[in-house]
Amino acid sequence: MKNTSSVKIDKKTLFFLIAPGLMIYAFVVIVPLFTALGYSFTDWSIGPNKHFIGLGNYAELIKDKIFWTSLKNNLIIVFANIIIQMGIAFLLTVLLTSKHTKFKALHRTVIFLPVVLSAVVVGYIWQMIYSSDYGILNAVLRMIGLESWIKPWLDSPKTVIFSVTVPLIWQYLGIPLIIFMSAVQGISKEIYEVCELDGVSGIQKARYITFPLIFDSIKVTVMLSISSNMLVFTHIYVLTGGGPGTSSMVLAQYAYNTSFVSMKLGYGSAISIGIFVISFAIVILFRKLTEVRKK
Amino acid sequence: MKKRFRKIAILLAMTMTASMLLTACGTGTSGDSAETDAAKATEAKENTAGETSAQDTADDKMIEISFMNLWAEDNTENIAVSVRAAIEKFQQENPNIIIKEEAIGDQSAYYTKLKTLAASNSLPDVFVCKGSELSTFAKNELVASLDDILNADAEWKDGYIPSSFDDLSDDGKIYGVPYSMLSTHVIYYNKQILADAGYDTFPTTWTDFTAMLQKIKENGITPIALGNKEQWVAESCILSALGDRYTGADWFKGIMDQSGPKFTDPEFVQALAALQELGTSEMFNTDMNSINNDQQKTLYFNGKAAMFMEGSWAVGAVMAGPEDIAANTEVAVLPAVEGGKEDAAATSGGSGSGFAVGIKNYDAKKDAITAFLKAISGPEYAKAISELGEPAAYIVEDYDKSNVSELAIKYSEMAANLTFTPIYDSFLDPAVISVMNSGLQELMIGAVTPEELAQKIQDEFDKVY
Repeated sequence: MKNTSSVKIDKKTLFFLIAPGLMIYAFVVIVPLFTALGYSFTDWSIGPNKHFIGLGNYAELIKDKIFWTSLKNNLIIVFANIIIQMGIAFLLTVLLTSKHTKFKALHRTVIFLPVVLSAVVVGYIWQMIYSSDYGILNAVLRMIGLESWIKPWLDSPKTVIFSVTVPLIWQYLGIPLIIFMSAVQGISKEIYEVCELDGVSGIQKARYITFPLIFDSIKVTVMLSISSNMLVFTHIYVLTGGGPGTSSMVLAQYAYNTSFVSMKLGYGSAISIGIFVISFAIVILFRKLTEVRKK
Repeated sequence: MKKRFRKIAILLAMTMTASMLLTACGTGTSGDSAETDAAKATEAKENTAGETSAQDTADDKMIEISFMNLWAEDNTENIAVSVRAAIEKFQQENPNIIIKEEAIGDQSAYYTKLKTLAASNSLPDVFVCKGSELSTFAKNELVASLDDILNADAEWKDGYIPSSFDDLSDDGKIYGVPYSMLSTHVIYYNKQILADAGYDTFPTTWTDFTAMLQKIKENGITPIALGNKEQWVAESCILSALGDRYTGADWFKGIMDQSGPKFTDPEFVQALAALQELGTSEMFNTDMNSINNDQQKTLYFNGKAAMFMEGSWAVGAVMAGPEDIAANTEVAVLPAVEGGKEDAAATSGGSGSGFAVGIKNYDAKKDAITAFLKAISGPEYAKAISELGEPAAYIVEDYDKSNVSELAIKYSEMAANLTFTPIYDSFLDPAVISVMNSGLQELMIGAVTPEELAQKIQDEFDKVY
């Protein structure tokens, strides 16, 4: 460290440099977390009247069917994203790093473009795509003679959760792609050259070289995906508002509805803490699982 | 020496960034912070002082009233336009009162902000509020009871239609002044489409009504356009009236008094079953739960639907719609149902929303607030909206009827013969309404039975009350 860094920073200075960031983080994340924890033990509806009710909200939360359906929906979204989005991203990475692909920069840009769009915009775009009368999806299906495939995309309680997952997969496909590609660029070219000399096929290269060598990046991406998809809100709020009924309800929206539509801020806080605990548990679990694999 | 200098420099830079961030936070997150308020007040003061007289010494008499509403700046609805005109006039007449207006056009965003402000006890001085939210605020002592100022001016209070305070009262006290009388359930139908199906007049029995819907459907037209994505339309604009047809108004009164009736009573379950029947027999468009109430009007305007059900506020939108559709539009309410306890001459309605007053600065600014409330809901304002064809909550006798649209006249002729029954979401607690609203979506696609939904609503009701 002494030799590589030209600026010597002692611990005190380092602390002062970190302090502003830490203060902001504490102010917008840590403090609210603890105040929410405090509220979750009360029956606060709104206004100055709060009564301490101990674990009452949590007892209710465990029996709350909507909470568990929302969790199930979140998990469906998380798994669909990990499997489908990461799968496509990995496939595209292999294709885009292959020597034979043309216009790589263009492909990369086009795939990454939706990431910078506002989630509200994406929600509205997909609402139009799914629209039963004017939607492009139904129009295309009609055009190619697959009328029997036409469904009330956002109105059937059985399929709605998948309909709202597709925009998520589409919009954020660029993120794993960019991470994977930069990871692949870190793999020494020599390894591939040696393989080619040995006559290894493209699929084998992807399976035995690219995948294991970027596994750490994949792990990070999966973690990012879990944490963002456990909190997904905007798309679904715009597309269906959690409906029909509660069939596309996700945890964040349920916490929002409970707090700001039903005005049960105490219970809403308990839901938020529930989301935090569950998401944290899933991330820890995932880390434990992948550690074992490494050994 | 050099090292110490660097440390100081870093420290300075850090404090600067920190203070910049903190001040940015201060103005960014809470526009109502005392500092900015003071700054704005002085700014406004200087402006008015410049206009009236340069030697205005009555500095400490300047009163600022914050006014939050849900009419976007460019909103052309009759009420919004009239309220804005009234504010402008009020400002001219009262140069020492500054109205600081904040408008949020999106209804759900508006109520989210309002509830957030309520949670931190910083509600605006005057704001628009629905009855149901208002009673929650009242129970938590966040809004001021207006009885004293209303009783102090009997002429003002008696000017309002007495029932118009019903939606805005809690526990016998009045918490808001009404600015209009609305009904949440009006059927806007295309008489041409009905005629094509063989009906020259709107059916007067439920059997006839459903038979007609069936005929319209056979003609390849959606009988009823419904945009229930935001979940309140089916409850506020359909069930509030349909439910009452089965249960009668006394039942709902009993629910609110908790004097016996329950949501699981057969009458209410029958009403839910009737609504489910309409849903599952596809009398609505199939995407009813994923489009909103503006889109339901689009369906109607395109001639793809024979009718839609919405509140009296939609009169203006229909008149602004395609000319041929507007000319063919008639208004009606649901027919009576067999075995129901209410006749057909009723619809869900009332004042719905009103102007409420945050309790925080009420005592300090009482006179100014009273004057302002009078200006935006009293006789002059009421005359202005009546001339635009909007039903007022304040009784005005003589006004110029020449500009009132044909449909508005049809509506007011019909409304004159109707009794108003309670709008569910003006009275029930938001938590109960939330369960009812999302349950109705499931009910109409057959994902839940009427009995199950009734039980769910009753369970939530028991939890809240």
